[in-house]
Amino acid sequence: MLEWDIRTWRHDGCLEPLYDIENRENEIIVTIDLPYVSKDNIKVYATEDVLEVMAEMRSAVSWERWGSIQRRITFSRFRKQIRLPEKVNPDEASATFRNGVLRITLPKVRRQVSIKVE
Amino acid sequence: MGEVRVVEEEEVKFEKPVVVEGLPDVGLVGTIAVSYLVDKLEFREIGYVESELFPPLMVVHDGELKNPVRIYGSDTGVLAILSEVAIPPAAVYPLTRALTDWFKERGVGLMVSITGLPVPNRIEIEEPEVVGIGNSKDAIARLKEKGIEVMLEGFIVGTYAVMLKECQKRGVPAVSLLAQCFPVYPDPGAAAAALRTLERLIGLEIELGELLEKAEEIKLKARDLMRQTSTSLAEMQKNMEQDLPIMYR
Repeated sequence: MLEWDIRTWRHDGCLEPLYDIENRENEIIVTIDLPYVSKDNIKVYATEDVLEVMAEMRSAVSWERWGSIQRRITFSRFRKQIRLPEKVNPDEASATFRNGVLRITLPKVRRQVSIKVE
Repeated sequence: MGEVRVVEEEEVKFEKPVVVEGLPDVGLVGTIAVSYLVDKLEFREIGYVESELFPPLMVVHDGELKNPVRIYGSDTGVLAILSEVAIPPAAVYPLTRALTDWFKERGVGLMVSITGLPVPNRIEIEEPEVVGIGNSKDAIARLKEKGIEVMLEGFIVGTYAVMLKECQKRGVPAVSLLAQCFPVYPDPGAAAAALRTLERLIGLEIELGELLEKAEEIKLKARDLMRQTSTSLAEMQKNMEQDLPIMYR
């Protein structure tokens, strides 16, 4: 499947980051790659089924001749809204930021319980 | 149809050259490492690889039209193969066969694939480790001689896996260097670790400061290739590398 990537290189200074979702037994782990970002400039919001991340870059990044349009393009922040594959408890969510990657752990609402086999 | 052609625009003059290959794979480790090598050691373009199996595109650099899969050479007897596009799964076998036939014709002394080894806890790793895989007893001995840890068990998936096999069939010594990496994010830190190991393996000196200083810029510029590559790798069942092979012995 080819992705029409121009959607992710927007012209409003906002860039969609690369991200990955891991659906574990009791939790959903979302990681997001955020180059040029410091921990203090990241905002994470979560509801039961949507995660939203906004991050300001330390300084704007510009390219003089971007793509086939050959125009100057500048980015200063990342923004991504992710619909989660299952409902989570946002009050128990946690996040860490290391080596330029944000990792958010979202415990699922309905956790699996162990059933005794007799 | 389906043919892959290696086009040499400048003759390879070295005896037993070393070929360093960096085709797009997990973390774009090989692509980032070999791009840096080519730039830093001022390799020159000596050829390209073309095929109807590749996406119908060309690249424009400084106004010059270029093939996306290119061959570079240097005066040190090292050749490099670099791609700016993800290799479609259907092109993997024809591409590796064409390249390894060319390696055999040119008397390649060692083929080194640089790639990544995806690990789930990469976020916590400051210095990625590198392991090697050799396609013959001699190739494995070469890795061990240089103090490079050798992978003992596991599946390997992708272009580099087929390249090792095709080189083996033709008697071309080949190794792969796999650096611990993020699976779906460009990983310049892993590329630097792989290049440090390459330095040891083939005795090449590469100044790595700029690669680490420009890591964030590289990550941003490589994101589109990373997306294409992730799609292509999913079709190749790349996630099998996390599985254990069954062994009866």
